[in-house]
Amino acid sequence: MKARIDFHIHSCLSPCASLEMSPRTIVARAQAAGLDCIALTDHGCTKNLPAFHAACAEAGMDCLYGIEATSAEEVHVLCLFDSLEPALKFGEWIYESILDFPNAPEKFGEQPIISEDEEILDFVEKLLFVASSISFFDLVHAALEAGALCIPSHIDRSYSGAISQLGFLPDLPYSALEVVAKKIPKEAKKWPVVRFSDAHVPEQIGRRFTEVETESFSIEHLRLALIKLGENKKKTGRASTADGCSG
Amino acid sequence: MKISELHNLGFTCLQDQFNDGELAGGYTSDLLSDVMANLGEREVLITIQAHRNTIAVASLAGASAIVFCHGRTVDADVAEVAAKEGIALFGTSENQFTTTCKIAAALR
Repeated sequence: MKARIDFHIHSCLSPCASLEMSPRTIVARAQAAGLDCIALTDHGCTKNLPAFHAACAEAGMDCLYGIEATSAEEVHVLCLFDSLEPALKFGEWIYESILDFPNAPEKFGEQPIISEDEEILDFVEKLLFVASSISFFDLVHAALEAGALCIPSHIDRSYSGAISQLGFLPDLPYSALEVVAKKIPKEAKKWPVVRFSDAHVPEQIGRRFTEVETESFSIEHLRLALIKLGENKKKTGRASTADGCSG
Repeated sequence: MKISELHNLGFTCLQDQFNDGELAGGYTSDLLSDVMANLGEREVLITIQAHRNTIAVASLAGASAIVFCHGRTVDADVAEVAAKEGIALFGTSENQFTTTCKIAAALR
């Protein structure tokens, strides 16, 4: 099947995201934008994944369970799982490894853990965008070993991307690379390229997505779909990505 | 040296809503976790990290100003947050090394 995917969305748990970003709101917006499969990827923490899981099940929305981890060098990396438990386990490891700076909500924003019904259950203490103690190299390998798709975020952005933080893109077995600009950077030639919304407010959901041909939304099938996407890119020189809600 | 005197060193003021005062020193780093641990009160931060979190980190440290190097510019929303926090923003096409040298000499 042909499917529109967006595997980079933040909930209210991310300090920089709007408090309106509850899992239910995210799912409703994603459906309205015509997306077929989405992932929740908060900075450094997976504690809103259970509510996201429930919201997706309730709405019949296909989903992946993710995290946007920050490496020691402050490179952002999307790690995506097709079931909740391994994602929560991986998320716990990432959170534990974040350097211990407490959040100052008045400066950085609140970090609420919420229930499916949008009740605040707790607040996460450590500031979630802070670097972990895990190097970029180790993070990529750990994610792949845990069975996740590993996609470095916004590699062409002037901050928090692999190229801006490291000065170059190390040759590692990424599942794909997330690119923001229309032009694919020359460093990305070797890998499949995807474009996701990186939504922090509801209106941003659907602003960028990627179209894939996949048998299902299992990691195994998505891995194959991304490889196919990379081969098509090499043939046509174009990525199968789009802007706008309705394509 | 006063915050406003950064302009005299050839840096372009990108955000001028701040109370002028003496700078206590400076810190140069592009790793925000390092900045969080080491930037001091009333200091100037010299960096290429031109985004929102940098302002929040500087504000938390009680820093007075930020100089963005290598021609990095800030979006309007970033300048707005800095204005709210009263942190002066400057920009320069020079790199972090040259910028640091200039400020260090002026602070002596």
